[in-house]
Amino acid sequence: MKLEELRKIRERAEAELRLRGGTSRVKIVVGMGTSGIAAGARQTLRALLDEVARRGLKDVIVTQTGEKGLAAQEPIVEIHEPTRATIYGEVDEAAARRIVAEHVVNGRPVTERVVEVREVKG
Amino acid sequence: MIEDLAMHLADLVQNSLRAGARHIVVRLALQEGLLQIVVSDDGAGIPQHDLAQVMDPFFTTKERARIGLGLPLLAQTAEETGGRCSVTPRHGGGTEVRAQFRWNHPDRPPLGDVVETLVPLLATSPGVEFTVELSDDRVTWLLSTREVRERLGDVPLHHPEVLCFLENTLREGMDAAGLKEAR
Repeated sequence: MKLEELRKIRERAEAELRLRGGTSRVKIVVGMGTSGIAAGARQTLRALLDEVARRGLKDVIVTQTGEKGLAAQEPIVEIHEPTRATIYGEVDEAAARRIVAEHVVNGRPVTERVVEVREVKG
Repeated sequence: MIEDLAMHLADLVQNSLRAGARHIVVRLALQEGLLQIVVSDDGAGIPQHDLAQVMDPFFTTKERARIGLGLPLLAQTAEETGGRCSVTPRHGGGTEVRAQFRWNHPDRPPLGDVVETLVPLLATSPGVEFTVELSDDRVTWLLSTREVRERLGDVPLHHPEVLCFLENTLREGMDAAGLKEAR
C-alpha cells in the first residue's frame, strides 16, 4: 500500500475544502441491505459516487444504509435536501446517473422513479 | 438472486454494520485449493438462543422482513462446492462468519468484483474501521482504513481521489494474493 500517495491527496483535498467552506447541500443515501444488494445496489452506489466525482460536485455527499423495508422497489436511493427528502425506487445504474444530472444538479426530480417525497420543516 | 461471492461478501459486511460494528475485519484467503471468506466484527453479536436459527431461511430479526436468506444461501453455496460455513460468537462480543469454497469446484460461483463491492462500503461507513486481509499460500496483504484515515485527516474516504486510491490499492492486493479467476 502506497500510503505516501495519501499525503498528496490530503493536501489537494484540503485546499479544495477551504475554497468552498465545507458545507454539503445534498446528501444521497443508498439502501444496501441484502435485497438492495441483490437488486444491484452496489452498481447504483458506485454509479452515484462516480457521477458525483466526474461532475466535480463538491457539496454532495454519498452514503449508505441498511434495509429500507421497500424490498419490492430496490435499489432505493434517497436524496436529502434542506427542504425535502425524495425517495426513489428501482434505481439502476442509468437511473442513478440521471438522478444526479437532473435532480441533484438541475433541481428537477426524475418523477417516474419517485416513490415518495417528504417535506422537511426547517 | 445472489450471483457471485462478492455479493455475499457485501451482505456479510452489511450484517456487521447493522449489528453496530465499529471494526470489521474482512479476510479472503486462497490456500491449498480452498477459498476462505471471513467477516469478523465487534458488533452486538447474535444472542445464544438465535444462533441455532441463523441458517433457517425463515428466521430474521429485521422488523419489516419476513425472511433472512443471506446466511442460509451462503452456507448452501459453500456446501455445494465441498466447503462449509460457520457462524461463531467472538470472545468479548461480535460475530465471525467463515465460509469456505473449493476453488476448482465447478459449482463455485464466480468471485465477482470484490474491489468494486468493498470500496463503496468502506468509503460510506463513517465511524467504522475496516481491516482487509488478502492472502494465499505465500503472501498476506493488508489494508487498514484507520491507517488511511490517519493520513487523510478530515478528508473523507468517499473523496473521489481517495476512492480511486482505495480501488487501485485493493486491486493490487487482490493480484498479489492471486485472488483472480483463471477463466
